[in-house]
Amino acid sequence: MTDLALRVSGKRVGRGGALALPSRLSPKGIVPWLLPLTILIVWQASASLGQLPASILPAPSEVLAAAWRLLRSGELATNAGVSFSRAASGLIVGGTIAFSFGLSNGLSRLSERATDTTIQMVRNIPNLALIPLVILWFGIEEGAKLFLVSFGVFFPIYINTFHGIRTVDPQLVEMARSYGFSGFALFRRVILPGALPSILVGLRYALGIMWLTLIVAETIAAQSGLGYMAMSAREFMQTDVVVLAILIYALLGKVADSAVRVIERLSLSWHPAYRKGRRA
Amino acid sequence: MTQTAFKQERVSAAGASVTLRGITRRFGNNSVLEGVDLDIKPGEFVAIVGKSGSGKSTLLRVIAGLDHDFGGALTIGGAGGVKTTARIMYQEPRLPPWASIIDNVAFGLGPTPSRQDALSKARNALEAVHLADRGPEWPDVLSGGQKQRVALARALVSRPDLLVLDEPLGALDALTRIGMQSLLENVWQEEGFTAILVTHDVTEALTLADRIVLIENGQIALDLDVPFPRPRRRGSVQFAALADELLSALLKSKSQTEEYVI
Repeated sequence: MTDLALRVSGKRVGRGGALALPSRLSPKGIVPWLLPLTILIVWQASASLGQLPASILPAPSEVLAAAWRLLRSGELATNAGVSFSRAASGLIVGGTIAFSFGLSNGLSRLSERATDTTIQMVRNIPNLALIPLVILWFGIEEGAKLFLVSFGVFFPIYINTFHGIRTVDPQLVEMARSYGFSGFALFRRVILPGALPSILVGLRYALGIMWLTLIVAETIAAQSGLGYMAMSAREFMQTDVVVLAILIYALLGKVADSAVRVIERLSLSWHPAYRKGRRA
Repeated sequence: MTQTAFKQERVSAAGASVTLRGITRRFGNNSVLEGVDLDIKPGEFVAIVGKSGSGKSTLLRVIAGLDHDFGGALTIGGAGGVKTTARIMYQEPRLPPWASIIDNVAFGLGPTPSRQDALSKARNALEAVHLADRGPEWPDVLSGGQKQRVALARALVSRPDLLVLDEPLGALDALTRIGMQSLLENVWQEEGFTAILVTHDVTEALTLADRIVLIENGQIALDLDVPFPRPRRRGSVQFAALADELLSALLKSKSQTEEYVI
């Protein structure tokens, strides 16, 4: 009788999954792209009909032509590469420092008492307000961009790492300790996986701030990069290049966001919110 | 019920003995345990019952090694006099959601088992709780009762001499609970470990335990042997008579939690 009860409950739970079509193949997959596509068509049409002067907004076809021109001259690749490496190095430097502080403050009360208040004070300074000072310190060399981007990405990663570690379920920690887990094993098997969703949220915020900071810094003080390309194009009234630069920013932002989504899906496959298919 | 034997050789089937001498525990000025003396024989199944606030869970945490700030002497002798650690089953399953079911069971082997060995032991333990084919799935697809079965497998995978159970069936529905009780009884009979179960359910205590200890205001108020043969039938007259005796003992005991200041 008891065996029956157990078996029945086992079967009932086995079937929870909804029959969802793969979203990319369904007609629903087109819906998000309808609005941008319509805007593009209206934009092209009004420019072609002469309603929209090229000095205000060039037609999409002209932007494409500019892209092709700059691509062939190698200018686009160089500037995009420079911007990308600045963004990446800032993210790595700032992110690593932030992650270390988040870890040590999350794990040690002493470390938290020593540094958290200071970090919270500095956090309230808008990082772009530092630009005049940074130019005085570093000029317009790479150091300035590295500093600003690192500074910007530091806080979201720090706060979310710290918060993630502090909110790991204490019952799970007690359970793991009772099974002999401590030190690094406890960290790797329980604390880090428990904090990971929060850490990745921090990373996504950081990516947004990373581009914003970099673009502003390149627009104000730089001799290369996408921001510089847009600013020098403005001086020659090349609106097509300015628009192209803006579009590339949008594209890079999307790429960075998608990259984190992929990381989330791979590393948080256990999490119901990120699960695509059940592991069989 | 099918056989729940592990597929491995068990060298000795004896559990640990547990000896408590004058155990006290205070939280500030509030004394929760006031000199508890208790002897538990190897392989015995002891149920600790009591009202909430009586100190039964505190006593359990002391025995389980989760609480070290107590007074008195606690001795746990493993089989053959070897010192052993208690395994604990909590009221909640406490399964890390980021580890698959089989990895959750392997947690019970501690931080450094060899991967291959851990997996085969975990598979056997899962089989013992009738969840052999669910190993690769995530724990959150399971029902409450199945999660507790995984937690039981995790507690058993290291083949403990002492299993400490903190109201592990308290949150389950009545039917699942009966199934779990008989699973627990079978596994205990197969494995021969010493079991200490904290519960507020008199019927559950009578169904499972060799001996029932009633805790009241931090002291042992009643120590009762349960002589019925296993598996026990809840409907029998003697069973009901003993249940009645226990319930009235529980009800007339004055609990400290009823003192209010408004």
